[in-house]
Amino acid sequence: MAKITLTVNGEKRSADVEDRTLLVNFLRDELKLTGTHVGCDTSQCGACTVHVDGRAVKSCTMLAAQAEGCEVVTIEGLAKNGKLHPAQAAFTECHALQCGFCTPGMIMTTAALIKQHPQPTDEQIVHGLEGNLCRCTGYLNIVKAVKHAAELQKAK
Amino acid sequence: MDTHHSHLFEVGGAKLARLEDLRLIKGEGCYAADWALPNQAHAAFLRSDRAHARILSVNTAAARKAKGVLAVLTGEDAVKAGYVKPLSMLTFAGKDGKKASIPERPVLAHGRVRFVGDLVAMVIAETALQAQDATELIEVDYQDLPAVVSPRATLEPGAPQLHDNVPGNLCFEQEAGDAAAVEAAFAKAAHVTKLRLDVTRVAPNPMEPRACAVAFDTASGKFTVHSPVQGINMMRMQLAAYTGVADDKIEVVARDVGGGFGQRSIGYPEYVALMLGAKTLGRPVKWVSSRSEGFLSDSHGRANYIDGELALDKDGTFLGMRIDWIADLGAYLHPAGPVSPMRNPVTCLNGVYKTQALYGRWRVALTNTAPVSAYRGAARPEIAFAIERLVDEAAAQMKIDPAEIRRRNFIPTDAFPYKTPTGSVYDIADFHGVLDKAMKLADVTGFPQRRAESEKRGMIRGLGFSTVIENSGAGMFPKDEIRLEVHADGNITAYSVSHSQGQGHETTFAQIIGDGLGIPAERIKLRQGIGEQGLIGNHTGGSRTIVGAGTVCHIAAKKLVEVATPLAAEQLGVEPSQVAYAGGEFKSTASNKKISLGELAAKKPLVVTGEGKFGSTFPNGCHVAEIEIDPKTGVTEVTSYVTVDDCGTVINHTIVEGQMHGAVAQGWGQIFGENIVYDETGQMLTGSFMDYTMPKAGWIKDITIAEHTTFGTISPLGVKGMGESGCTASLAALTNAMMNALRPLGVPPLDMPLTAHKVWQAITAAKKGK
Repeated sequence: MAKITLTVNGEKRSADVEDRTLLVNFLRDELKLTGTHVGCDTSQCGACTVHVDGRAVKSCTMLAAQAEGCEVVTIEGLAKNGKLHPAQAAFTECHALQCGFCTPGMIMTTAALIKQHPQPTDEQIVHGLEGNLCRCTGYLNIVKAVKHAAELQKAK
Repeated sequence: MDTHHSHLFEVGGAKLARLEDLRLIKGEGCYAADWALPNQAHAAFLRSDRAHARILSVNTAAARKAKGVLAVLTGEDAVKAGYVKPLSMLTFAGKDGKKASIPERPVLAHGRVRFVGDLVAMVIAETALQAQDATELIEVDYQDLPAVVSPRATLEPGAPQLHDNVPGNLCFEQEAGDAAAVEAAFAKAAHVTKLRLDVTRVAPNPMEPRACAVAFDTASGKFTVHSPVQGINMMRMQLAAYTGVADDKIEVVARDVGGGFGQRSIGYPEYVALMLGAKTLGRPVKWVSSRSEGFLSDSHGRANYIDGELALDKDGTFLGMRIDWIADLGAYLHPAGPVSPMRNPVTCLNGVYKTQALYGRWRVALTNTAPVSAYRGAARPEIAFAIERLVDEAAAQMKIDPAEIRRRNFIPTDAFPYKTPTGSVYDIADFHGVLDKAMKLADVTGFPQRRAESEKRGMIRGLGFSTVIENSGAGMFPKDEIRLEVHADGNITAYSVSHSQGQGHETTFAQIIGDGLGIPAERIKLRQGIGEQGLIGNHTGGSRTIVGAGTVCHIAAKKLVEVATPLAAEQLGVEPSQVAYAGGEFKSTASNKKISLGELAAKKPLVVTGEGKFGSTFPNGCHVAEIEIDPKTGVTEVTSYVTVDDCGTVINHTIVEGQMHGAVAQGWGQIFGENIVYDETGQMLTGSFMDYTMPKAGWIKDITIAEHTTFGTISPLGVKGMGESGCTASLAALTNAMMNALRPLGVPPLDMPLTAHKVWQAITAAKKGK
């Protein structure tokens, strides 16, 4: 067992976790933050993407213990003061979600992507979304939503 | 792009394209793995690691003693419970009046395993990890048996036999059409085109892995099953049939469903095993599938292996078509699995053409592979692919323009309603109009110039299209019901059986009801998957929801006004004839007094149930694909893709376009990469997202979408259904474009998937041959 303390969505959380506990399982099972999804077991799909110290990370690729002392933001913590993050707003405005299962991961990836590239090119967007799978949209509206999110962020 | 961003709602400062979006973008959806039932235990399955073997013994002693383990169940428990016979919907008679041979499938394998992933044992423990750990302590003694994975080889004499009651691995055989007429047509043909048209096995892969949590109430004997569904009734019917438990003792609960594509419409043995586990243990039991398990054991799609022949006269008129079709259903039959390939291809066997002589033979074959069921289109894409590939090859062989050969054979626009040789009635369509619009949007006249420009750059360009039709509408349940409940604040809850797996029912249904009542759509909240409402209705599948449940939303709204009018009259102290309804309010025409729907509901519960039953509709369309191949690498880029569809009245253009994007992407995936591959021993070689080609961002750069609608006659809304048409049309359109590019080099027809490797090899082989 490992004792960990980390900040999740601005709140300090401590817990004893099994050494092998993945960050995603800690978030979902211990903290009941079920907005972070698990879509595969080979770290391909990106449904579990969260922010760890400001970077988009697939939370199935790290152990909860590795997040000791880290600042973690999940989809539940992205909207601030009741106001949607530009990435969230862009996804609904562009109809970039259908079933919604990949969406939290897509949005967390997008939020990090437009922070890194405030005016992303098509190439940067496609590259940035390489690790996120969607089965519903064919990605056309997702690519649009990333561009739109960048515009919304700029207008903020 | 022909885009209409209608129906955007303002919620909390953000424009919402759909009413369901807000919770989903905030991470507040509730998918199957998100259920946490009080005191729940966790299950893990031990699956067969071989394709075909006798089970000599299963030793669970060590697993039972492992930390946290509560129970271990095996095939013996499944047999003891009598959970051995899944429902089969393949009930109709086939060739010579013979019914299907249906194999048994104990929910945990008993005596034999028949595919890699077959369920051998279920461990239930306090935690999911404990359950998983304990599965590794189970010792199974197998005696290997020869396996067969090829759908053609499995029907050959001497093939390994899967089930004692299915001789020759042939479950069912049927014929359709007129063999003698086809014989005569081929005898007088000036030209015959023959093709092998295999439509490969793919994984539907909705992004949400399967999950299921079952609670059993000992006092009432009632099961509550939380699982992803396409409709709760379809799921309950199958679970009841598998277990012999009465319908009213099973409640299926579902909220958000993370994609479906046919994969969700099955009452899987895992779910039934969990029912057994919950009952045995007296505690809720939950299981969440990993993606690796999913690849092995979720239903697969397509897997139809077709030989086709088209007979033409010297002018390119289609005289007759003959097909020989093997549907590979895997090791067992999913309840509706074999029904799609037996029924849908027959319904649209002539496609969009007036071909009179048609004949087909269909065989349902078993192999040592994962069971197959409906996948977006459910054999509609397969028959469309077969017809449209034959037509295109025939045109090329006869040196007739591919658009021209289609025009010569289209059912004329003034011939509707049109009775087809296999007995369908196409109610209304305009195939010429659809084709003309698509050709124009794709700038087909400019293609030779674009091809020449590509050639200058050392590239090979091709253009191809498909003109297709598919059956939708009619469902298997006796009717579709929608219940509307008015609340005192004037808001309305609508209840539906048909369950969204991403199609946006909460928005589309609200729009229809809102339109019918003259109130904003945001005032209507759709609830799906509420078993206690006891509604009858079809699941979401076959593109039929808008025709069934969607139309009934309209009917229910009208009924609500009808039912509420006398109630309002009573309150207003006038005759019903003196009451006018508009915008959620009833007004007395005699005075200025008025009363709203909400005020009426505050006085007395105001609930109505609308219902309707609908026949088949026939959405249709033309897709045009243009591609460019780099002959040095075989890498293909789709340079443009145009869709023109007639799905009848469009309720929400944004949603319809989204459905088209997704369906075309799935067709695209199948043509250029997706393929479930087993080696000859039955081991899956494509069991993860590392090995299986899922379309990714950037694959498709743009799709030009347009509508060419005729008002459907089956629904008063004029809707025909959509959702699957992108798959139905894209398989052939993309393949035809590829062959249009490759044919001049001497490349023979290629089987999907057309990977860069395969294309490069074909180009290289053709060059050597010259």
